[in-house]
Amino acid sequence: MTTTPMVEAKDVTKSYGAIDVLRGVTLTIQRGEVACLIGPSGSGKSTFLRCINHLEKHDTGELSVDGSFVGYERRGNKLYERTDKEICAERSEIGMVFQRFNLFSHLTALENITLGPIKVKGISTSDAIEQAHLLLDRVGLHDRDHNYPSQLSGGQQQRVAIARALAMEPKLMLFDEPTSALDPELVGEVLDVMKDLAQSGMTMIVVTHEMGFAREVGDSVYFLDEGVVAESGDPNEVLVRPQSPRLVNFLSKVL
Amino acid sequence: MTPNGDDAVAVVPVRHVGRWLAAGLASVVIAMLAHSLFSKIPTGLQNCRSSHVGGALRNVCTDAFEWRFQWDIVGQYFTSIQVLHGLEMTILLTVLTMLIGVSLGVIVAIMRLSPNRIVSSVAWSFTWFFRGTPVLVQLIFWYNIASIFPSADIGIPFSISFIHLDLTTLFTPFTAVLVALGLNEGAYMSEIVRGGIQAVDEGQVEAANSLGLTRLQALRLVVLPQAMRVIIPPTGNEVISMLKTTSLASTVALVELTKSVQNIYAANYKIIPLLVVASIWYLIVTTVLSILQFYVERHYAKGSLRTPPMTPVQRLRHDLRGIAAKALTRRSPRLRELRS
Repeated sequence: MTTTPMVEAKDVTKSYGAIDVLRGVTLTIQRGEVACLIGPSGSGKSTFLRCINHLEKHDTGELSVDGSFVGYERRGNKLYERTDKEICAERSEIGMVFQRFNLFSHLTALENITLGPIKVKGISTSDAIEQAHLLLDRVGLHDRDHNYPSQLSGGQQQRVAIARALAMEPKLMLFDEPTSALDPELVGEVLDVMKDLAQSGMTMIVVTHEMGFAREVGDSVYFLDEGVVAESGDPNEVLVRPQSPRLVNFLSKVL
Repeated sequence: MTPNGDDAVAVVPVRHVGRWLAAGLASVVIAMLAHSLFSKIPTGLQNCRSSHVGGALRNVCTDAFEWRFQWDIVGQYFTSIQVLHGLEMTILLTVLTMLIGVSLGVIVAIMRLSPNRIVSSVAWSFTWFFRGTPVLVQLIFWYNIASIFPSADIGIPFSISFIHLDLTTLFTPFTAVLVALGLNEGAYMSEIVRGGIQAVDEGQVEAANSLGLTRLQALRLVVLPQAMRVIIPPTGNEVISMLKTTSLASTVALVELTKSVQNIYAANYKIIPLLVVASIWYLIVTTVLSILQFYVERHYAKGSLRTPPMTPVQRLRHDLRGIAAKALTRRSPRLRELRS
């Protein structure tokens, strides 16, 4: 008896006009797995990640999260497109962390974290604030609750962004190059938070250029190149003994 | 200590000769303006009175003078009941038309950004039409609307009517002004709101969506509050502009501030001093609005600036403290030493 995988993709394609970004991505990510997506820029890593929570609509192929199709509902032999409301409900169970943090600039760190739980889940304000304090504690920012994003460093902003996503109690966390916009000395603090999260058993899909993180924390690594998964497997295998010349070439550039 | 190691090297500031000349010239112009404002001119009339000069009764006459701007008349009418009623109407019209304009502007801006082509085209056409025709023409049109639509019905199109409206009685000068200026303002405000919405980073909407907020929730809770920072300054402009545009209401016989002074000078021919009365009132309201705008802008700047701008009171205190500190250090070299 096998449990349903958290994310299952079969031949997922996506194109912007004449540019084919995804040309048939197939992969399976199990519950509790920490999957790292690596690859050169333009390989479709971020696009694939954004398809998972329907920020982008994929063109063809099957993509399902926790057993249900993203953006569609299967009834009999037909796929019905989901309404905006249903898509929002799906998204609320998937956390996302962006390269450029995207914290709400008019709200304090605390208000950033409580907005989702209050407005989407309908939790009472006092409960949401209590939970937000716990989360800020967890990412090491308990004294920054009343600061606006512009008053925080990049690393602190990204940690608040992680706390904001966690406040929705997601079953899956997506990270889109979470450390790429950070100064080198701030990368560590964000990776530490992600490491803790991985150890707590969260299913995570991380688009990253941090090969050290992929090897240390990742359960699996997927190398995307020109819109397909070119190589995948255990990070300590794939990253140490790459098979395809394209991965060898890529690793020689980033390491 | 200076980099050279000498303690007592005097610093000579740059002399800005050009700036001094400009300042001097400006001062002269200001003095001339002030003088003309508060000068008197002969009226040609003479003040004559009888008096005993050397035992005989004689008429003694002196030339009569009056303020060039007839300030006594300005003072006499400044708080007259007619003018105050006019002012009240001007403020009421400004508030109501701006309320209509802003609400309409937000709706039209959101429609304009709709993915549905028909909805966005309707919004575009609305703006195109109401920005493209003179507001005075629109005003006269609405004032006369009953001549082509004597009545209107609200109900199911082409069949049942629930409410019957008599437009002849509905479109008084007051409602005509509200509808005309409100619709026209809505067209301008929609462009301001659209600009504000588009100035907000797309990532903010994505982050809101990723939390599960719907399109409308994201707009209301995330996009519009941030867009306010861009929307407020031109809206302040619009309010001040509207304050004066309401004077067009005088063309449909609605007595607001301008019409109220027109009514007075039509009777007594004191045109200039009464225009001065109206102008001073417009300036006073504009000043109040500008102060209000400062505080509203300051409110919506939270989060985007690390330190909010000082309020005028804070700035005054800050400046005074600076001057006091400077005076203190100048007086005591010991303190100066301690500071360095």
